[in-house]
Amino acid sequence: MAHFVEQIIYGLTVGSVYALIALGYTMVYGVMKLINFAHGELFTLGAFVGFFFLVTLDWGGVFGPALAIGLTIVMVSGSTALAGHLLERVAYRPLRHSDRLAAVVSALGASIFLQNVIMVVWGAQYRAYSASLLPQVIWRVAGQSFPLIRLFVFLTAILVMAGLYLFINHTRLGLAIRAAAIDQGAAKLMGVDVRKVIAVVFIIGPALGGLAGLLVGVYYGQINFNMGQLYGLKAFTAAVIGGIGNIPGAMVGGLLLGLLETLGDAYVSGAWKDAIAFVALILILVFRPTGILRERVAEKL
Amino acid sequence: MDRGVIGVSLAMILGLTISLMAVAGPQGAQAADIVKIGVMAPTTGPWATEGQDMVKVIEILTEKVNSSGSLKGSAVRLVIGDDGGNPKTAALAAQRLVTSGVLAVVGTYGSAVTEASQDIYDEAGVVQVATGSTSIRLSEKGLKRFFRTCPRDDEQGRVLAAKVKSLGFTRPAIVHDNTSYARGLADETRDILRKAGQKEVYFDAINPGERDFAVVLSKIKAKDPDVIIFTGYYPEAALILRQKAGLGWNVPIIGGDATNNRSLVELAGQAAAAGYYFVSPPGPGDMKSAAAQDFFKVYEGKNGGLPSSVWSVLAGDAFSVIMDAVINGAEDSAAVATYLHNTLKDYPGLSGAISFNEKGDRVGEVYRLYRVDDKGQFVLQN
Repeated sequence: MAHFVEQIIYGLTVGSVYALIALGYTMVYGVMKLINFAHGELFTLGAFVGFFFLVTLDWGGVFGPALAIGLTIVMVSGSTALAGHLLERVAYRPLRHSDRLAAVVSALGASIFLQNVIMVVWGAQYRAYSASLLPQVIWRVAGQSFPLIRLFVFLTAILVMAGLYLFINHTRLGLAIRAAAIDQGAAKLMGVDVRKVIAVVFIIGPALGGLAGLLVGVYYGQINFNMGQLYGLKAFTAAVIGGIGNIPGAMVGGLLLGLLETLGDAYVSGAWKDAIAFVALILILVFRPTGILRERVAEKL
Repeated sequence: MDRGVIGVSLAMILGLTISLMAVAGPQGAQAADIVKIGVMAPTTGPWATEGQDMVKVIEILTEKVNSSGSLKGSAVRLVIGDDGGNPKTAALAAQRLVTSGVLAVVGTYGSAVTEASQDIYDEAGVVQVATGSTSIRLSEKGLKRFFRTCPRDDEQGRVLAAKVKSLGFTRPAIVHDNTSYARGLADETRDILRKAGQKEVYFDAINPGERDFAVVLSKIKAKDPDVIIFTGYYPEAALILRQKAGLGWNVPIIGGDATNNRSLVELAGQAAAAGYYFVSPPGPGDMKSAAAQDFFKVYEGKNGGLPSSVWSVLAGDAFSVIMDAVINGAEDSAAVATYLHNTLKDYPGLSGAISFNEKGDRVGEVYRLYRVDDKGQFVLQN
């Protein structure tokens, strides 16, 4: 039983990172009906900006671990938000009124461009976050070990997602985002500034993705320029499973994918874990083609 | 319309000029013969560090050959093909190298990547000297022009199993990553250990590129092994070491030569990496011959540090043996292959004496046991 609980905790940590990234895909899709392929690279960028502050500038040594992490979260979210905003201005806004396919190609191009920029700036080799950044505290419960830092990753992700949920459902700007997601034209007629909504979506999504990159760096300690591919693919899948365009859906989809992977790994075979997770996902899509939450709350974004 | 016609004809003239220049270029500039050597290396992709080091090593050796005059007036030119660490890209790179008319090809690092290119070189009759591809079957296909400067997995598996035994471990857990290299090494080691009556308590794969191995570690821990044998690559080995330390679990891990990379300690953290064992051909710092010392001095001066692993040095050796064949009069691929098979004996390479057997495999004991000490240094054991 303790073993099972341990696996669930592992699954939720992995899943919470997927969920954070998936939110970026789902918000952009919800408002623009565009899959932002460059989102995985913004995640990578977040990991490297975090590397710059925590390792190159050694903020951990300067400010102490807690303050350093807090400040780095702000810097990472800020710079990936800025990058996301620039991306929207350069790669997507000029194509707003052109063919959908043109935007997709532009997204792919932006993805390759960003990945190569990261490779040129930081090099092709793996980079390491220091293992001694956060104190290594291990909880032992019923013979199982739980590193505290895992809890930190999970709680940070959950807090940020809760904040986003409140923002979307309880503020005027959140209302505008939901309105634009349902029908851009009608929202415009109702006085919603759709351009602003898109700009905001391209600030929040990348900020969350960048934060996820930072969490991966801090927890696993290892980043490289193409890490965004695998995470991006998994997170995109999570978004589709939850119902792409649906914010709670991305959260549920991310956590579910994390759990499926972990349980498949723990109880069947590590070599087959991706196959198991993806077969389960195909089954979900066969029975609920629009994703888990899409139908129920479609009118709420 | 007129403008269109003019534009097209201008473009045609321009194109023609460029192609004429391309044809005239090499002949005009250098009257002597150009020997083209292909280098197939993963200069981008997950193993980009290895690939870029390979190119750096070979470039230094090329300059040396060209300035030494031992080619009697002709010059070597490298043609770099990026295989991206990916079999599909490798097939394209191989085709490009073949059509550019290379005499021989050095490379590449990953076994699966080399395998995707073998037939292309074989059909074109081009000599291929692989540098980091240790999978057994690469040299079991009867290809007459395939060589490698690295040892094979069965050799490595033998040494790995012997070291596990001599270190006194009896309950090994074996983890690989499903690449043909890691799987091959894991199978080989398992079979030898089983024959010696040491049945493994755990045998499974992880997915390369993933970052979370907590589940795998908790499963292995439940089997209570006294050693974990990990046959995959250094990024995953570092993650496993780090996460194992995060669990406060101190079972030793022993790995294969794909973990012989200086990034391992940085990625895992010094404390987590301490005590890690691996078997590998000697690393750049442990190559003590005078030629090797001279070479690494030049390399350090140029790149501010030693190559990050032994594999790029083996690429240098692959290049050197091909050059040795050319210097001794081999003018085409067939002659190079014959020379490497029959004439070359104990060539003094950077990594030691090099000879090839009839399969094209390197002959002789290459593997050593290393241990990572508390300061993160790779220490050669006996």
